[in-house]
Amino acid sequence: MSAGGLRRRLRAWGRRQLYSFFSSLGTLLSHRLGTLMTVLVLGIAMLLPLGLYVSVKNLRALDLQQQDWGTITVFLQHETGENEALALAERVDQQHGAGVEAVSPLQGMEEFREASGFGQALDLFEENPLPWVLLVTPLQADDAGLEETVGELAEWLEVQDGVDLVQVDYKWLKRLAGLLELGGAFVTVLTVMFSLAVVVVVANTIRLDVANRAEEIQVLNMVGAGNSFIRQPFLYSGFWYGLLGALLALLLLSLSMFYLQRPLESLLDAYGNTFEVSGLGGRGMLFVLLAGGLLGFVGAWVSVRRYLRQFRLEKARLQR
Amino acid sequence: MITFEHVSKKYDGGVKALQDVSFHLDPGEMVFLTGHSGAGKSTLLRLVLMLERATRGQVFVDGKNLGKTPSRHAPRVRQRIGMIFQDHKLLRDKTVFDNVSLPLMIAGMRYPDIRKRVRAALDKVGLLSKEKSWPLMLSGGEQQRVGIARAIVGMPPILLADEPTGNLDPELSQDLFDLFGQLNSQGVTVLIASHDLSLIRSMGRRVLVLSQGRLVDDIAGADVGRSEA
Repeated sequence: MSAGGLRRRLRAWGRRQLYSFFSSLGTLLSHRLGTLMTVLVLGIAMLLPLGLYVSVKNLRALDLQQQDWGTITVFLQHETGENEALALAERVDQQHGAGVEAVSPLQGMEEFREASGFGQALDLFEENPLPWVLLVTPLQADDAGLEETVGELAEWLEVQDGVDLVQVDYKWLKRLAGLLELGGAFVTVLTVMFSLAVVVVVANTIRLDVANRAEEIQVLNMVGAGNSFIRQPFLYSGFWYGLLGALLALLLLSLSMFYLQRPLESLLDAYGNTFEVSGLGGRGMLFVLLAGGLLGFVGAWVSVRRYLRQFRLEKARLQR
Repeated sequence: MITFEHVSKKYDGGVKALQDVSFHLDPGEMVFLTGHSGAGKSTLLRLVLMLERATRGQVFVDGKNLGKTPSRHAPRVRQRIGMIFQDHKLLRDKTVFDNVSLPLMIAGMRYPDIRKRVRAALDKVGLLSKEKSWPLMLSGGEQQRVGIARAIVGMPPILLADEPTGNLDPELSQDLFDLFGQLNSQGVTVLIASHDLSLIRSMGRRVLVLSQGRLVDDIAGADVGRSEA
């Protein structure tokens, strides 16, 4: 074949693609209700793993603020006074080389009042119920021996005079990290499951589409349309379903994040974290849209491949 | 243009639709195919279109041996044939213009060329004013003419028609056959399956007669109208 002939055929191929592209869009638009329902199902199916992913991602960002990890909170007995508290702080600093911040009952009360919003309730107390608190941070840069150091220090603190309770943040942060890892694994599992669901939903929708347009397929077949020309509009439909589903999922995700942002930020504020809830970002969104479209395409491909063949056999059988 | 050599077609159930049929159509011929329903007219046309394959014998269309043409090349064979159906087979959810343009879309033609060709085809069947209509808004005769426009828009060298006048009154049928004659005079090979004997007689063209799957008569155009009393 000459180069000119090849170019001509490529152009014809391109025009057929364009035709399929627009005709598939036209079909979706002309069946608005059906399209809407399919897209809704797809959107919700995609929202679940996406929502969990964003949650886990945000919690991970929290856990990155590791300077808090080694902090030991030491609650002193209620009757312990300022002198004893500061003396203990001094001893910790000298014997263990750890950073110590002593929080007086008054300071504690102020912080609590701000963070909790229980201001008026606190006024009901005749005297301050809070004890002196020491925040002890071992001076150790690397993570490696941190757990051990913190453990030893906590043990030592527990047996000092005037100490009521020693609380090691390390432990619950460790548990949080474990939970986050589990969450991450969960995201993976959900993503796989729901991707499969998207493929199946699109495949089923396209299967019905093919059945509904059996007559059209037959006519196209008889006026000289090749298999690819018959197949393409369905493949594009699958792509559109997936893309629109992903778009809806992103929209729903943004809405939920918008709704959750304020309460979440004030909650995190209460934990002393200044923290901004982060979404997927532009790249993430683009990825989700493309992945959605691709999944839809795959679903359509699976269905069309099987169903058109079956359809042709059936047609042959019927027309005896 | 179309040649059958000892062609038989047996369907899976054992029904013999065609038995040992041989004939030859020259390019530019216009031929009628007649016989009772069930005589095998539709099967013969379906063989030409490669919608079926012969069980025995050879079918040649436009110089191609269809028995040796793989199924994936069937679309290329069909693109050289304009087919007209008794029930029009128009797509109801597409306008007249979009229906007629289908073969050109399939060929991947440029849109401005498609426009020109579709309008020319619609003009030829006298329906240029209906290009934006929907098939269901048209009368039976008009729908049939849309079907013809779709069949001729790609300027195929062969035109097949399966009972094209089946649902039309005599006057419209005559118009339709005149239209086929006109297309034929421009060099298109035309094969029309019909059981409208009086109309066929009035055309004075070659007639192939099928009966129970066999070709029982092949009457030359000059003899049509005289032979039967």
